[in-house]
Amino acid sequence: MRFNVSNIIMFISFVILQIVIAGLIDFGPLLFISIYPLFLLTLPVNISTNKLMLWAFFIGLTIDYFSNSILGINSAASIIMVTCQPWVLKIIYRKGDLENQIRPGMRQLGIARFTAYIMICLAIHHLTLSLLEGFSLINFIYNLPRVFISLIVNTLLIQIIEFGVFYKRSR
Amino acid sequence: MWNKSPFIRGLATGLLFLLLEGVSFFFIAKDSLFQQAKISGVIMYVKSEISSFVSNIHYFVGLQEVNDILLQENVELKNRIEELNAKLQQNDTLITYKSSNDSNPKFSYIPAQIISNSTNKLQNYIILDKGTLHGIKKDMGVISSRGVVGIVSAVSDNFSYVISFLNTTQSVSAKIATSQSFGPLIWEGRRTDYATLTEIPYHIKFMVGDTIYTSGFSTMFPPDIPLGTARKSSLIKGAYHKIKVKLFQDFNTLRYVNVVINNNEKELDQIIQENEVQCK
Repeated sequence: MRFNVSNIIMFISFVILQIVIAGLIDFGPLLFISIYPLFLLTLPVNISTNKLMLWAFFIGLTIDYFSNSILGINSAASIIMVTCQPWVLKIIYRKGDLENQIRPGMRQLGIARFTAYIMICLAIHHLTLSLLEGFSLINFIYNLPRVFISLIVNTLLIQIIEFGVFYKRSR
Repeated sequence: MWNKSPFIRGLATGLLFLLLEGVSFFFIAKDSLFQQAKISGVIMYVKSEISSFVSNIHYFVGLQEVNDILLQENVELKNRIEELNAKLQQNDTLITYKSSNDSNPKFSYIPAQIISNSTNKLQNYIILDKGTLHGIKKDMGVISSRGVVGIVSAVSDNFSYVISFLNTTQSVSAKIATSQSFGPLIWEGRRTDYATLTEIPYHIKFMVGDTIYTSGFSTMFPPDIPLGTARKSSLIKGAYHKIKVKLFQDFNTLRYVNVVINNNEKELDQIIQENEVQCK
């Protein structure tokens, strides 16, 4: 139960963080900020996929509701991202890493693997998001630069947050 | 239970995934018009595909019935073709002499076929395959496309007995096309392809080759049926011409004929009788 409470606190704080940062950074249509995937990607490994999907659904819907995007677009993207997360983790993880049922953070994985993990998941998320926004392959191809720029910026932001907030604390 | 079977767990996860995605898409479709249009287009496409698939299944299941209907229709059409073919052959002999307004034609025709015919006697007779059941009565004219054939003299239910034009007792009222002067056309009993037009007044001028038509002065035959062409002529007693007429009709090869029904016959007869009574 304590675990859940901490998750709820993290949920709320990530929603606020996402909204604040997305409000602060405005570079036009070529960049969209989404740092809330960090919350979903760093949930403990032993959490079941069903719970993960519910978390993803609700955080996506909340963020869609508070930012002026199309309602449901972030939730759909994050659900897909979360569904792909176990397979990405299988690629990223080494043997023995999953033993402690820990959150897959920067400290546990190391910077390089954590970056790869985040980038793959974020790529899935962003591609889904742009596909859902454009809703056709032509628009999707025009959106590719936007996806790349957002992917790089969001990875940087997530790494800064991870390094600044969680890296030290878990040490 | 959920933890024991990996399959059920996977299934539940998949179902939850689909459910949450569905809810998300529902929200997207509700929120944005562009996506709504796209999604509804996809849904419409899927719906139409499904409905066409279903209708194809219906069609396939009902194919037996359709086949039966088509078979029936085929038989009907074949019958119709036969009917029309018969009519076409008769149309070779059909002359459509009708009055100016089609609604009430002066003459109508019953197509008939010759069963027996003779040309080698002085009194020739023809038997047709139609009788009273088909509307043929006594004293009706019989024509073909090339001229007069004869007059019905006796009728049974299914057959009729026709006095052929090739009969020395028979005469047809005929006229010369150029002068419209008329006289009886009779067969003299010598050659089947020649007849004689008599009682043309001596002052009437005509040329060899002039066409002879029926005059239409009898109630039996419609006017202007071409009968033949004028050949050599002689002046009888200095009063009238006797013209040899080459008939168009070849009675030896005659097969299909039309029986003429005069729609005004009753009226005409009535007038004639009344006048005769008055004259007396």
